[in-house]
Amino acid sequence: MDSSAQEGTARESPGPVVFFDGRSSRRRIVSLVLGNALEIREDGAASVLWPYDDIRQADSPPGMLRVNCLSAPSLARLDIRDPALAAALVARCAHLHENQLDGRATLKIVGWSLAAVASIVLLVIFAIPFAADRLAPMVPRAVERRLGDAAAAQIKTVFGGKSCNAAAGQKAFDKLVGTLREAAGLDVDVVSSVVATPVPNAIALPGGQMLLFSGLLDKAENPDEVAGVLAHELGHQKHRDNLRNLIHNGSTSFLIGLLFGDVTGSGAAIFAARTLMTSSYSRDVEQNADTFAMDLMQQLGRPTRPMGELMFRVTGKQGNDGLSILASHPLTEDRLKRMSEADRPPSGPPLLTPQEWTALKAICASKG
Amino acid sequence: MRLEPLRAPAPPPLPALVTFSGDRKKFIHLVARGSALELVTAGFYRFWLATDVRRHLWSNTVIDGDAAEYTGRGMELLIGFLFALAILVPIYLAYFLVTIEAERLKGFASVPLILAFYGFGQFAIYRARRYRLTRTVWRGVRFWMDGSGWAYAWRAMLWGLLALVTLGLALPWREAALERYKMSHSYYGDLPGGFDGHGLEFFKSAWHLWVAAPFAMVLFPLFPFVYARFKAAEWRWWLSGIHFGDVRLESDLPENGLQNVYWKMIGWYFLAGIVLSVYIGICTAVVGSINGAFSHAGGAVALSKSLPLLVLTVIGYLALVLSINVAIRVYLVHDVWVRVLKSVRVESIAAAADVAAKGDLASALGEGFADGLDVAGF
Repeated sequence: MDSSAQEGTARESPGPVVFFDGRSSRRRIVSLVLGNALEIREDGAASVLWPYDDIRQADSPPGMLRVNCLSAPSLARLDIRDPALAAALVARCAHLHENQLDGRATLKIVGWSLAAVASIVLLVIFAIPFAADRLAPMVPRAVERRLGDAAAAQIKTVFGGKSCNAAAGQKAFDKLVGTLREAAGLDVDVVSSVVATPVPNAIALPGGQMLLFSGLLDKAENPDEVAGVLAHELGHQKHRDNLRNLIHNGSTSFLIGLLFGDVTGSGAAIFAARTLMTSSYSRDVEQNADTFAMDLMQQLGRPTRPMGELMFRVTGKQGNDGLSILASHPLTEDRLKRMSEADRPPSGPPLLTPQEWTALKAICASKG
Repeated sequence: MRLEPLRAPAPPPLPALVTFSGDRKKFIHLVARGSALELVTAGFYRFWLATDVRRHLWSNTVIDGDAAEYTGRGMELLIGFLFALAILVPIYLAYFLVTIEAERLKGFASVPLILAFYGFGQFAIYRARRYRLTRTVWRGVRFWMDGSGWAYAWRAMLWGLLALVTLGLALPWREAALERYKMSHSYYGDLPGGFDGHGLEFFKSAWHLWVAAPFAMVLFPLFPFVYARFKAAEWRWWLSGIHFGDVRLESDLPENGLQNVYWKMIGWYFLAGIVLSVYIGICTAVVGSINGAFSHAGGAVALSKSLPLLVLTVIGYLALVLSINVAIRVYLVHDVWVRVLKSVRVESIAAAADVAAKGDLASALGEGFADGLDVAGF
């Protein structure tokens, strides 16, 4: 071209320049003229013009410059292997590296990611407990009861489906649960049962079902101990903690899992983060259930200390076992201390007669 | 005798060369930086790291003198992931409710529902492959795919059931059938792809590994041998079955071709584990001596509650995760890629000399699903 010749910048490429026009995979050996725009010449074909400002670098192996052009078909590529020619072209293209990820772009990704992390952490700490508190009362009782039935079916499958139901024992158990429920202002028509398993625990399921594990019953020394633990579980039920925990833990796990994606492989970090974030919430919930249980026992004129003693017998001293910020429950010794302080001499009638207590202890003895 | 070579017919054209021009050190640097950023960003950088890894591998893969190119970008993967979340969240919720209903009828009756998620994962695998293929460009023409992710998922599930029932014996036929579906819907420009590997060939080259697998489960140090051999046989069989039009791939990857890659990886696992335990040992000693924990009874217990020690342990653990992540990508991605590439020859590449461009880009939704469901596949 005349204009390029008189500027003195025209340059015939010494090495092979390969051009792909983006319409076919034909490998075209071309020569380049660096004029006002990049001119791509091929023998026996019309030459192609690429404005320098539209030229961008594409990925290529070392020792080769590969460029494309915004105003050409998107996959058209020019492969330049001659370093001198490549340098001459690079010098003319002001926006060559515009679509490469530079340090600032990376910094931006890091910044936005940290913002996302912060917002998720804030959600977990503030928004989710709030949402759980507000949402739990809105769930209909029928749905809650279904959840409880599903959980009960699962628990019974896990523990071999053995329910303890010696007639006299069941009668005593129903009396104990009934007294507590009545005093707590909860409906009395819900079935509760004792499950045969050495695990010392008791659980309140959504919808009101209560399961007492025989392991705990075996460790108990008097009715007030069992009554205290059952009252604690009733507290969870009264506050609808099951649903709140379900909403709270479900959404927290989900958000944190989302955050970490596949970065750990083992999931250990996810587990650690979740434990840290949910355990303080869970400690508060347990504390409230304890308060409820103590109030209920005092209302019935029964001592509160035995409940703490039973728990202490089961767990032992916990203070040395690890970091207290990771625990889901308050430390047993602290709970025992609190219950001892609130303890008053009994003023009401015993919750079970000695005969009934003996029958309850033997509820698993006969195969039913 | 001396004249014989002259009378021989002209030799067929040499198969095209496939070479890898990448610098391993550069790759290690790329992966180390990316993994560190992944930790700093709590995982969000994974989309850009995956993209950088692919860009490096693709653009250094030189077929018949011309390098391929990966045109996907990290932002596309992030958007695909967010879209996938928007779809997966209601599905997770619905799944949760259905589980409750099913559980109520009978404990653990919901287990079959997990099958539905398996099918969804297969769908994700298909769509993710489609995304990657449409971002693969060679000589200015892209690869692309049509076909239906759901049709593929059905096939994968039925064949999966058969493989399960036959204790894995039907696996080669499953892979052949699925690969036939994927490749018959793959194209390079207007050149249609195809797969003509047979399950029987794969079975013949891998049945002894099927026999060895139960022993390797018990004598677990044998397991990497069996697995590496299985992967090598699978790669060789898979590559040798692929063709686009008349262009055919051949692979001569030997059965022990990937052996030492897996062993090196295991070596790094052990090394990292030992280094971590030594590090924690030193930290415990240092923190302990500063606190004077060893001088009085109950000190060891107090040490287990020490916050500085916990922080040091977490730092050590993160360093372990980082180094393992780097090692996995260097050995199991880069080195496997290079070895497999070296084994490949391309026959009658002339058939791809003038292929017309065709096909549209697919969205990264499939990649997002695959990320959300934690599945991976080729």
